[in-house]
Amino acid sequence: MIALVRAELLKIRTTRSWWAYLIAIVLLVGIAVAGDTGSNADARGELDFQVGLIEAAGFVSALLALILGITIVTTEFRHGTVTPTFLASPKRERVLTSKAIAGVLTALAFGVLALLVVLAVATPWLAIVDADIHAGDAEIGERALQALGSTVLWVLIGLAIGSVVHSQVAALVGTLVWIFLGETLLWGLFSLIDIDGAIAYLPFRALDGADGTGGEDVLDYWPAVAVSLGWIALVGAAGVWRTRRRDIT
Amino acid sequence: MIEVDGLSKRFGKTQAVAGLSFRVEPGTITGFLGPNGAGKSTTLRSVLGLVHPDAGSATVLGVPYRELDRPLHRVGAVLEASEVHPGRSGRNHLRVQAAAAGLPASRAAEVLALVELSAAAKRRVKGYSLGMRQRLGLATALLGDPEVLVLDEPANGLDPAGIRWLRDFLRSLAAEGRTVLVSSHVLSEVAQTADRVVIIHRGKLIQQATVAEVIAGSQGATRVRTPDARLRDLLAARGAVVTLLEGGALAVDLPPEQVGELAAANSIVLHELTVEQATLEEVFLELTGGETTE
Repeated sequence: MIALVRAELLKIRTTRSWWAYLIAIVLLVGIAVAGDTGSNADARGELDFQVGLIEAAGFVSALLALILGITIVTTEFRHGTVTPTFLASPKRERVLTSKAIAGVLTALAFGVLALLVVLAVATPWLAIVDADIHAGDAEIGERALQALGSTVLWVLIGLAIGSVVHSQVAALVGTLVWIFLGETLLWGLFSLIDIDGAIAYLPFRALDGADGTGGEDVLDYWPAVAVSLGWIALVGAAGVWRTRRRDIT
Repeated sequence: MIEVDGLSKRFGKTQAVAGLSFRVEPGTITGFLGPNGAGKSTTLRSVLGLVHPDAGSATVLGVPYRELDRPLHRVGAVLEASEVHPGRSGRNHLRVQAAAAGLPASRAAEVLALVELSAAAKRRVKGYSLGMRQRLGLATALLGDPEVLVLDEPANGLDPAGIRWLRDFLRSLAAEGRTVLVSSHVLSEVAQTADRVVIIHRGKLIQQATVAEVIAGSQGATRVRTPDARLRDLLAARGAVVTLLEGGALAVDLPPEQVGELAAANSIVLHELTVEQATLEEVFLELTGGETTE
């Protein structure tokens, strides 16, 4: 199993998209933090604002982790590399497990990188403008941990989706359509038939609640984590079933 | 070594393999022949656990591929040359597969040297020619130094020099005592290398035998030349199929003894009487009805 995880990590690191992910994280988080810090001269010394920077970093790394998770599985089918992969490990559920472990490790690296970018951009800036820095505050630490946890959940749901929908384009587009259209329509439907409470249990609403930032119509943190894990287990089980049965031609 | 027993597989409306059984003996090169669409790839992919058969079984080294411990150390396979991430270098492709097999990364360099691809090791596979991809596929198959090799149309897209290289390479692998199963729809690629052939058509076994047996078992033609026009009619009267060849010779589907005796009994002078041995190519076309699905 360790050999397979090493192979999966090597796969992630040996294509150009690896660098694209890292550059995207640095640029997106860097720009978001710089923009916020620059345009909030009054608030930037406050704890709430600085917690917001951590949340922004978590949002970026979670989104990229979702794409990574989907891609880790679907790229094998897109390029046919699933053949050598399954020749090396004909027990396909072991391949998926290795991908999940490698995906989680990589997602954690994304999360840590995003947090380091916040630190590298915001800390010197705030120091220069002589604002208070709350880096040592417990809420900052807690929100940073929740950002990492959320990134892990998003890579796992991506992996689960990719194991069910093996076509890369269909999986990526389908997921976006589901998030922005599917869940919004269900939201409307649930409100219409007066079961608003169910909205929070939709997969990406649950994942939204599991980043610790709260908001309307989301569950509390731990229930949100539990519901998210439930969705991951459900879609993941379907993915294992589908991948095991698939004829690789 | 490799045993296929009653294998059947249907894809939608296409019955790709229909009750196919054959054996590959240890230490031999076996040519797996059939026209395009005969079911060769489906069979090989079933042997390798990639395709789930509807019925029947396929085993390698006595067990289904899925139950092999450390499969890359036992069986090497080359399927389609395109099954490599185009953005990865040849060396990194091999390093990934070596890692999955629990082999050291240094093994990648060794197999690259073996297939004479070291110079292109760090280039991205996107820029490889088809021949280079085939070599990379062979290198991948050899990573674990396996005792069994399964190759699906490895000569596809190779130029004549590449085919010659491949033939010599397969011979050297067999000389090391490995068992090789190599599929092809072009017989000449395999005829000079294989010890045995398994010929399939429309998913069914047509023949499995040694190359010599296949040729010997086929109906050879007798070539006869005579200035006497009566022979042709006499042969036809005996029910033989007679074809007029270039230069006035006749091809007859009777043994030379009978042609000679018939000529002698009618005092016909013969200028030539020879046996024409069928080539494996002709036998192959004869057995598969000369059709391809291309």
